Amino acid sequence: MRLGFPVKILGHPGLRPYDSRRWHNSPHLTVSLAYLRDIILYLERKRIRFYRLASELAPYIAHPDFPAFHHQIEECAHELEEVGKMARERGIRFSFHPSYINLTSLHQEVVEHSLQQIIALTRILEAMNLGLEAVVVIHAGGAYGDKASALSRLCRVLENLPHEVRLRLSLENDDLLFSVNDLLWVHARTGVPITFDHLHFLNHSDGMEEQEALKLCLETWPESIIPKVHFSSPRTAMKLSDDGGKRRAYPPQPSEHADFVNPFEFISFCRMALMTCRRDFDIMLEAKARDLALLELRGNLRKFAPELEVE
Amino acid sequence: MDEMAPVLVVVMNNLRDMEIARREGWYRIPVKRAPSRLGAEYLAFYQTKVFGPEGLAINYYAPVKAYRLARREELLPEEPDHPRAKEWYYKIEIGPLEKLPRPIPSRRLRRITFIPTTLGRLLRAQEINDLWIGGEAEESLWELFRENGLPAERRFLIQGEEEKEIDFAFFCRKGKLAVMCDEEPLLSGLVRERAAAQDYELAALGWVPLHLDPELVMKSPAEALGKVLEALEKLGGCTPEEEPWNYDDTGQF
Repeated sequence: MRLGFPVKILGHPGLRPYDSRRWHNSPHLTVSLAYLRDIILYLERKRIRFYRLASELAPYIAHPDFPAFHHQIEECAHELEEVGKMARERGIRFSFHPSYINLTSLHQEVVEHSLQQIIALTRILEAMNLGLEAVVVIHAGGAYGDKASALSRLCRVLENLPHEVRLRLSLENDDLLFSVNDLLWVHARTGVPITFDHLHFLNHSDGMEEQEALKLCLETWPESIIPKVHFSSPRTAMKLSDDGGKRRAYPPQPSEHADFVNPFEFISFCRMALMTCRRDFDIMLEAKARDLALLELRGNLRKFAPELEVE
Repeated sequence: MDEMAPVLVVVMNNLRDMEIARREGWYRIPVKRAPSRLGAEYLAFYQTKVFGPEGLAINYYAPVKAYRLARREELLPEEPDHPRAKEWYYKIEIGPLEKLPRPIPSRRLRRITFIPTTLGRLLRAQEINDLWIGGEAEESLWELFRENGLPAERRFLIQGEEEKEIDFAFFCRKGKLAVMCDEEPLLSGLVRERAAAQDYELAALGWVPLHLDPELVMKSPAEALGKVLEALEKLGGCTPEEEPWNYDDTGQF
């Protein structure tokens, strides 16, 4: 089981996940790839073999107003291949998790833009020559007052995706609308595997038991691909904010991600998975302290659950 | 201006490469020798002594446009028989060179390789040592040394069996002091052994190692400074800055 973290690096100042310059300063995919090369070396030093790439890796790649940026993947084929080779040589698994994807929208241009984003990210993974375990994880979108219709629209869109794009796609249960149950319905019709999210499940279990939900999600993945799971602990710390010069304290929402991972919650989850599921899986930690949270959890696992085979 | 925009300081050690940067808009780094932090929004150029009055200082910087991969023979087709002609290089494409508001000199003749820094630091630096970004304790020590007029050289490279980088080097009348701020926690016995082995090697190369606990630096800076001053006194005090140490200006990519 590999532990991973998303995008930002907190444990090494100066490492950037992508070229964040605005369009008028000519950001470029190769600059992002130079940053990614530096990140790969950092991951190697920390023995981390699972990492979520920034969705903005290729700046403005699918932005309808900036066609000049749309050919970066072809232009950078060699550089993409080399970075992919670096990752493969080190056994590092990459994934994407783009935000602002909505495949159930009632507006065709929103769906079209989402598709262009997903296709571009898939092409990046292909250009890196990465195996099919490098996936693009998305949320389903909105329900617009009629979840059944939204799910049907989602299935239609997924069925029409190019084969190579569908092969790398995974759906994630969310904390409000689309539960594991809903996504299992979509999986049965489209074959798209489900990335189980622990915190979202706790917030929106839809009457399922976690061990059953996890088991069913893992079974949606092809045998040849190690499934991935998202894990984070709910925030419990008080939130402080300035309201017109007055400091006010608020309780956290149960859906908010904590800075670090509660090691005991994580250990219970892993032990439950070991007892229930036959498949190995990788865990993307969605803690706000990113790589620092991963390193801290790793230390805690050595102390409290050395029997768990976690990298 | 993005103060935090990453900058990579690179070495410019011949006139031809400066002309290439100025006229053709690129700079090259061998893939095998690229630093662990390569990605940047700007390149800044440390010019060696071959540049005469502009030498031994950073005078120019330029925005990065792209990082390409190319073999040396493609970049410099007029040198097809160069021993590294077939090797891969990062061709860093850059925009127009801009002059810094003031040059950033190296106080002492020393070997410089790559310095990752930020645009804010580049535009404010008084000298090369202001560019390095260290951990909290290392940064505090550097401030202490500056405030007390101690001529430390940061991130000094020492050539032994393997090249080593020490946090601060002091050159004294009776020897050399290597000050290290151990910010990486000593996790295991193996790491402690390695640190001890490094000290023996430094001593064999004529350096006196001094390790400072980062907690001491942060909680009791005066005490940490006292330890450094005591070590410097034992070594006869610092030498004048213009004396060269470990200087090598011949490397060419």
